[in-house]
Amino acid sequence: MTFAHRLYIFVLTAIVLITFGLIFFYGYTYYKLPLEERFFNQGYILLKPGGNWGHGFGIIGSVSMIMGIILYMVRKRSRFLARFGLLKHWLEFHIFLCTLGPVLILFHTSFKFGGIVAVSFWSMVAVFLSGVVGRFIYIQIPRTIEGRELSLNEVRDLKSNIGTLLSESYKLDEESYNLIINSTKKKIGVYQSNIITQLFRKYFEDRRTISSVKSACKRNNLSRADRNRIVSLVKHDITLNRRIDRLVLMQNLFKYWHVAHLPFAIVMLIIMVIHVAVTIVLGYRWIF
Amino acid sequence: MRKIVVITFILRITLSCIPAFAQISPGKLAAVHSHLEGISNCTHCHTLGDKVTNDKCLACHTELKARVDIGKGYHSSAEAKGKSCTSCHSDHHGLAFQIIRFDKEKFNHNLTGFPLSGAHAKKQCKDCHKPDFITNGKIKSKKFTYLGLTTSCLPCHADYHQKTITRPCLDCHLSDAFKPASKFNHASTKFPLAGMHQTAPCVKCHPVTITNTVKFQKFAGIQFTQCSNCHTDPHHGQFGLNCSSCHSDLSFHNIKGIGNFDHSKTKYPLENKHQAVPCKSCHKGNVTDPLKHERCLDCHKDYHDGQFTKQGVTPDCSACHSTKGFPGASFTIEQHNAAVFKLQGAHLATPCFACHKKQEKWSFRQIGKTCADCHKNIHEGFMDARFYPENNCTLCHNTSQWKEVHFDHSQTKFELTGPHATLGCRACHFKKDEAGVVHQQFPGMQASCSNCHKDNHNRQFEANGVTDCLRCHNASLWKISNFDHNKTAFKLDGKHQNVPCQKCHKQITEQNITYVLYKIKETRCESCH
Repeated sequence: MTFAHRLYIFVLTAIVLITFGLIFFYGYTYYKLPLEERFFNQGYILLKPGGNWGHGFGIIGSVSMIMGIILYMVRKRSRFLARFGLLKHWLEFHIFLCTLGPVLILFHTSFKFGGIVAVSFWSMVAVFLSGVVGRFIYIQIPRTIEGRELSLNEVRDLKSNIGTLLSESYKLDEESYNLIINSTKKKIGVYQSNIITQLFRKYFEDRRTISSVKSACKRNNLSRADRNRIVSLVKHDITLNRRIDRLVLMQNLFKYWHVAHLPFAIVMLIIMVIHVAVTIVLGYRWIF
Repeated sequence: MRKIVVITFILRITLSCIPAFAQISPGKLAAVHSHLEGISNCTHCHTLGDKVTNDKCLACHTELKARVDIGKGYHSSAEAKGKSCTSCHSDHHGLAFQIIRFDKEKFNHNLTGFPLSGAHAKKQCKDCHKPDFITNGKIKSKKFTYLGLTTSCLPCHADYHQKTITRPCLDCHLSDAFKPASKFNHASTKFPLAGMHQTAPCVKCHPVTITNTVKFQKFAGIQFTQCSNCHTDPHHGQFGLNCSSCHSDLSFHNIKGIGNFDHSKTKYPLENKHQAVPCKSCHKGNVTDPLKHERCLDCHKDYHDGQFTKQGVTPDCSACHSTKGFPGASFTIEQHNAAVFKLQGAHLATPCFACHKKQEKWSFRQIGKTCADCHKNIHEGFMDARFYPENNCTLCHNTSQWKEVHFDHSQTKFELTGPHATLGCRACHFKKDEAGVVHQQFPGMQASCSNCHKDNHNRQFEANGVTDCLRCHNASLWKISNFDHNKTAFKLDGKHQNVPCQKCHKQITEQNITYVLYKIKETRCESCH
């Protein structure tokens, strides 16, 4: 990850957190009140759903989400836009807009969830949560730098030839060499149980493996840089092992995820449109 | 295809949930508006394209609209006028939301057109804003409203006067307290209070009764044209109905026009001396204060200091005196004679003061009953006390005339005979000396004539220093019947017997004493012839 990318992620994250923090800090005394009391609070004028701020939160949040969805969908499907930035970065921007949007929508609702628009809100929440899940699944599937999914063979080719590296670059004793080579291989025993147990056993097994690799490196008096390099390679291979193991599963899950993520988004948008339409019809036009 | 089926399934499930929410409403309406819930009712309050307008609110809240239209009430005040209803009232905040809520402590009630003053300011809103005080039936039926009250007092306050007074309550009462009616000015009534009426408690003239089972004080319809409408006539009509001809309203006891007062109408008509007596002499306090008048002593001091009191009872002065004056008592001689000292003789003509006012004060008791108690005993030291034992003058004197003395002179050594018996005592016993001073003498008086009588013969017949008149004179007639000229040295015979005495006994004067010379030393003829 480049510095520019890190800065990009940081800025997007900061915008979301700061937005959330500022609004929460400013409106805390209002939002914490029971519904029946809010009208009599001085924050009501600005922060109510129809207030200058509250209404603005709704509009900006809605626009953010719509833009986040549309831009990302178009980017994914348009060959023309394929030249503009990495899909990964577009996804991150999609996540940013579709996180900032719900945050603003949350404050737009002023934590009052009722009526038909609540369906939209909870749909939004579902979309957001499914997005989080999708993001988890997404990163479980190795991709090219452009974001394209790799095939199983392509993934296997990614594995480093750590045996050659160890024998050429470092003079390790045989025991240590074998230990490191074995650490990059799939642990069969770990997978002979249910998936939850597998996850825990795999986690702790991997930690033990890394720990033993570090001990082996120290025992052979390798420098810190060499130790880190070997440990990094081992970790990379362990991760690849895990991804290879789950690749098919994750690819299937990702297909189903799309089926769940999109309908909620559509429901959210439909009801949002109804909500906006009713609002406009009744004369609530924000600052316009 | 499979993807489309799944999407359709989720959409169907999701959209089927919509009826459960079924509301475009952003929240439940408050309880009072709950009948407006439902998508078909939105436009009851909301104007399409124009949010919530005042017209929509007032279309339902007609009672408030009526107030606003006539510019009355809080909603017509500068604070509320021109504002949107929604700036103060909102909804869709839940069933329990209070559409009308404000700081009751800070609310400026002046803006309602009914400033809270006095006791009103201490009341809670609900003390007044309650159905009991609302006359409009439609408003009254509301569960709670601030509308429906009027600025008049009676819808909230009981009519203590029970419709007997038609003037507005605030003409007399302040809002601080019903009592006292501080703004009431009796001067503005037909009976302005003057004098003592100003300090009289209201209840004296405005009686408190129980009328219609409640306490009621009568203020209207009080009769006042005559004093007797309120005051009891202590004179029982004796002086007529016009009390003010004598009394003033400064005080019942403050009498005006006293000079015109006809005392004869009272139970004690003024007569004689009493007519000139100033009122205050008898009426020490207020002239109307009851005054005892049955007895003189009710006003007058007993001048006699109880001298006539017997067994605790003092006879009235009128037994002796009259209103014509204190002097000149009407006490009669008969009355006096019925007492212990009967008046007789000169005492009948003796003025009372001669006996009863020997000193400055009149005295009627223990002044004595003997003569000496009043009369001076002029004989004391001059007369033997055995002649008037125990100073009893009556042995010699009587009450008729002092000079009339009845004394048996035979008790003395000198029985009175002849002319002596006819003489007054003073002829012998009182003699003037050479200086003209009268001296009395009783004891020690000589029985000789010369002791009383003058010797006109210039001691010619004196023998041994004593002249015995009775040798010649008769004691009764003073005639010289006892003289016999023949027993003298010159016997009368012959012609001499017829010769008048003075022929021979000539009057001579010797040493400025003129007398008849009886003892003629020369008896010879030629001494005469």
